[in-house]
Amino acid sequence: MASATYLSNPGVMINSVNLTDMCTSATVTNTIEALEATAFGSTSRSYVGGLASQEITLDLYMSYAATETYATLAALVGTVTTVKVASTDAALTTASATAPRFELEGCYLEALPVINATMGELSTISITFTGGVLSTIVA
Amino acid sequence: MKYTVISERIGTVGEEFVPGAGTNIESLLAHGFIKSDEPSDSPTPKSAKTKEPAKKD
Repeated sequence: MASATYLSNPGVMINSVNLTDMCTSATVTNTIEALEATAFGSTSRSYVGGLASQEITLDLYMSYAATETYATLAALVGTVTTVKVASTDAALTTASATAPRFELEGCYLEALPVINATMGELSTISITFTGGVLSTIVA
Repeated sequence: MKYTVISERIGTVGEEFVPGAGTNIESLLAHGFIKSDEPSDSPTPKSAKTKEPAKKD
C-alpha cells in the first residue's frame, strides 16, 4: 500500500476566474522536448533537452449562465492568458511545499467546444492550453 | 486604470481587482466579471482656442 497518497481535489483558475466547482479533471504537463544527439559510434540513442513545451488540459461542466464556463472562456479563444492549477483550492491563493500551485503564464487556447451535448447527460467540455512559461509556486 | 470585482468567481464583490500577469482584462470586462472605475462618457476637456496673429508682409 502506498505510504502517501493524494485524493484529487485541485483548485483551478483561468484568467483570474475560479472555476474549481466546474472542473472534473485537470492535467498539468511539464515537457522539455527531447533532441536526439546520437552520433556514429554510439551503441544507444542519447538525447539533450530542447525547448520547454507546456500543456494544461481541463475537463469542465459547460454552463452558459452569467460568469460561468462559457463566459470565462469565450473571449479567450485565439489569445494567451494565465492558468493556475493548485493541489487544493486554498493553494490557489496560499501555496506551500506540500500544497504547490502551478501557473502557466502566456498559454494559448486554440479551441473551445461551444456545444458538446449528449441526451440525458450533463454537458462537459475538454480544453487544452499550450505554450507559455510554467512556474511552480511553493510559498 | 482601476477595476472593481463584480463577480464572486474573481474575488470579493466590491473590492478592487488587481490583474495579475497575463490576465485578459477585455474578456473579464466583456463578460461581467469586473467593471472599470474610470467614467467612460466623461467629456474630454477641449483645449483653449488661440487666435493666430495676423501675418505682416
